Amino acid sequence: MRLSDLIQRPLLGLVTIVLAFAAGAADAAGLKIGITLHPYYSFVANIVGDRAEIVPLIDANANPHGYAPQPNDMIRMTTMDVLIVNGIGHDAWAFEILDAAGVADTLQLIYANDGVSLIPIAGDPSGEKIVNPHTFISTTAAIQQVYTIARQLGERDPDNATYFRNNARRYALEIRRLRSEFDEKVVGVNLSNFRCATMHSGYDYILQELGLQVTAVIEPRHGVEPSARQLADTIDRIEAADVNVLFAEKYFASRLSDTIREATGVNMYSISHISSGEYTAEKFVSEMRENLGTLARAITDTADASR
Amino acid sequence: MNAVTTYEVRPAGSRYEGAVILLVTIAVVAVLALYVREQGRSDDVEEIFEWQVSAFATLTGADQAIYNSLYTVAEEIPYIYDDINFSNAPGEKFRWPSIEDFQYYLLPPFYKDTSWEQNGSLQWSLYEPLPEGEMQGSTLYLGTDGQLPGQGSFLLVIGHVHAGFTNNNAIVIWWNEANHVEMPESGFQDGLILRGWREVVPYSGEQEVDRIYGE
Repeated sequence: MRLSDLIQRPLLGLVTIVLAFAAGAADAAGLKIGITLHPYYSFVANIVGDRAEIVPLIDANANPHGYAPQPNDMIRMTTMDVLIVNGIGHDAWAFEILDAAGVADTLQLIYANDGVSLIPIAGDPSGEKIVNPHTFISTTAAIQQVYTIARQLGERDPDNATYFRNNARRYALEIRRLRSEFDEKVVGVNLSNFRCATMHSGYDYILQELGLQVTAVIEPRHGVEPSARQLADTIDRIEAADVNVLFAEKYFASRLSDTIREATGVNMYSISHISSGEYTAEKFVSEMRENLGTLARAITDTADASR
Repeated sequence: MNAVTTYEVRPAGSRYEGAVILLVTIAVVAVLALYVREQGRSDDVEEIFEWQVSAFATLTGADQAIYNSLYTVAEEIPYIYDDINFSNAPGEKFRWPSIEDFQYYLLPPFYKDTSWEQNGSLQWSLYEPLPEGEMQGSTLYLGTDGQLPGQGSFLLVIGHVHAGFTNNNAIVIWWNEANHVEMPESGFQDGLILRGWREVVPYSGEQEVDRIYGE
């Protein structure tokens, strides 16, 4: 045996052992889970705790509406074991990144909305039944997604399936308690005079869950501003229906909301789309609590003004 | 001054030009029509049977909200069943959650809060036709007598294999356009359909993904 063999063989063995150990450590570290939208970060963080790593696909402050994919997104995507997507129109750019990164056939996807019963966009002047993709601005539809994600992650990581499911149940109750907090603020308040319109269709799920029907939507589709004629018709509808509250987007301001407020005299309140800022485990509950607080304030203000 | 002479100049192929343009136009339209038929978006989002009703296309407002809550409840009822029977004493009969249990879990559409009132204050009751513990036939939750104009009634059925249902603990949600309905005697499909009940089917995210990206 040559001297080089004496050195190389133990070295190769050592490298093999180190790689095996590294692979084992990676398994122990759990899945690397990609997410496309802020609420999904919160959902997954509460489901997996410290037993998996979460990788947001796009930068924290990027606007997911009309997002243009970046080279870094492709690099991030190649590191993921699984990617959780909205899949019904709110993160279409993720599929462009999948194709561009060349992992469309290999990266496993979890469609968070698989088990959600969808609703149409409310107040669309066309009368068409267009699917509303904002299932994450809600409590019930959000809980359904939490269960779907927990179940499908459990299938990919069976050792932690029970842990994921128990966490999902705990988190679902935490989300449900938001409704109780809302109820404490509006219990006994007369809602008969409350009539609302929304700047876009993002709040249909939560408003419907609470039993608050939407009279008109100014911008049914994201980024597609109404024509002058459509805007005039909408203002007419708002006035005819005696709408007194307009919900607008908190982070993505639109000059149209000011136009409508000036034309109709409605009171305007801002709701978060939960689509901007740092990715945190608490973000969804924190922003939904704020949203429900805003809704409660709009209801009590309207009741006070009607006295 | 010379007299002006007028000549009419006609293209060499004028006899056929109109016909050729017409044929090309027809061909282009035909190809586009074929493309739209094969690749275009369909507005028919779902196909359902006569004895079913679409939560997406037919139910509206409060009834749609109630159905969507029930749809998520179907996911949670088995968990709650495990919770409430977890510490049963030996021989103690297993039971399905009562309406009171749902209050503890803050579970809409049963939980009586402002949203429940806004969505019509349906009166919910539980019925177990064969109350024999684990061997009960089916479990029925009826919600009826809503306060909103035109509001229907809901029935959530949990069927069990030993009682003749195809899938054990399969949960099916039914809707009846009548505002007041008596509790059915059983949760079997045929009897319910005869009494005006229609199975509610969701338009799910899975179907929408298939529509957008193909199966």
